[in-house]
Amino acid sequence: MARSRLFPRRRDGHVEVKLNGHAREFIAQQMQKVVDADHDAQHPWHSHVHSPMNPSADTDDPLRVLQRQKETASNAELALLTVKEEQLTLVEAWAWLTTMQIALRNHVVARGAFENDSLEGIDEAELSEIRDLQYLLFELAKALE
Amino acid sequence: MSSAQPLLTTRPEVQTDNKVATEKLWKVVVWNDPVTPMPVVTLVFKKIFGYPQEKAEQLMMTVHHEGRAIVWSGGQDRAEHYVVQLHVHGLLATMERDD
Repeated sequence: MARSRLFPRRRDGHVEVKLNGHAREFIAQQMQKVVDADHDAQHPWHSHVHSPMNPSADTDDPLRVLQRQKETASNAELALLTVKEEQLTLVEAWAWLTTMQIALRNHVVARGAFENDSLEGIDEAELSEIRDLQYLLFELAKALE
Repeated sequence: MSSAQPLLTTRPEVQTDNKVATEKLWKVVVWNDPVTPMPVVTLVFKKIFGYPQEKAEQLMMTVHHEGRAIVWSGGQDRAEHYVVQLHVHGLLATMERDD
């Protein structure tokens, strides 16, 4: 029997969310981490959320930096606000995808695994979160194709 | 006979060569990472640049196999805009001057 999709696309364009309470709680935690990383300068992800825009330039354009910061934060807040919804608009679904992707990336960047191009050295609990995020992103991407 | 003196006592420099001022080109580069699912990269390329599925997939595979891909080149302002959008979507992107 075919496995049913976690995020089926409805005819009206909305994206249904067929997640159990545990999965929603997991996603909410990830979204909250991105929101916190933006607001809290002490958060371990903060410096990665605010990484340089353009490393090839001496200084970044402050307006571009602000634009990125605002868009990332508003996506994360929108995602968090809608985490209990049964169906999402396309804008909301994209906010989920971008926020989960930011969370996924920060899990890895914060461990320095980006440079190694490998996940060696990441503990089992965090590796499990990374795998879960990858699976959810893979499923959500199908709905937005 | 007019006694009015010219206001300018020196003639402005007149450029005599035929150089045309052109905007320098910038390349938007997306870098590989060990975790982002491939369909997400393809999807983001389609959304941000409006690329068709085939081109978006081809660029994603270049990122995956070669570690990076030039996904767009053009003026600085648009290049910066695209880098912002790629960052907002959680991809690792930089821009380089196209010398």
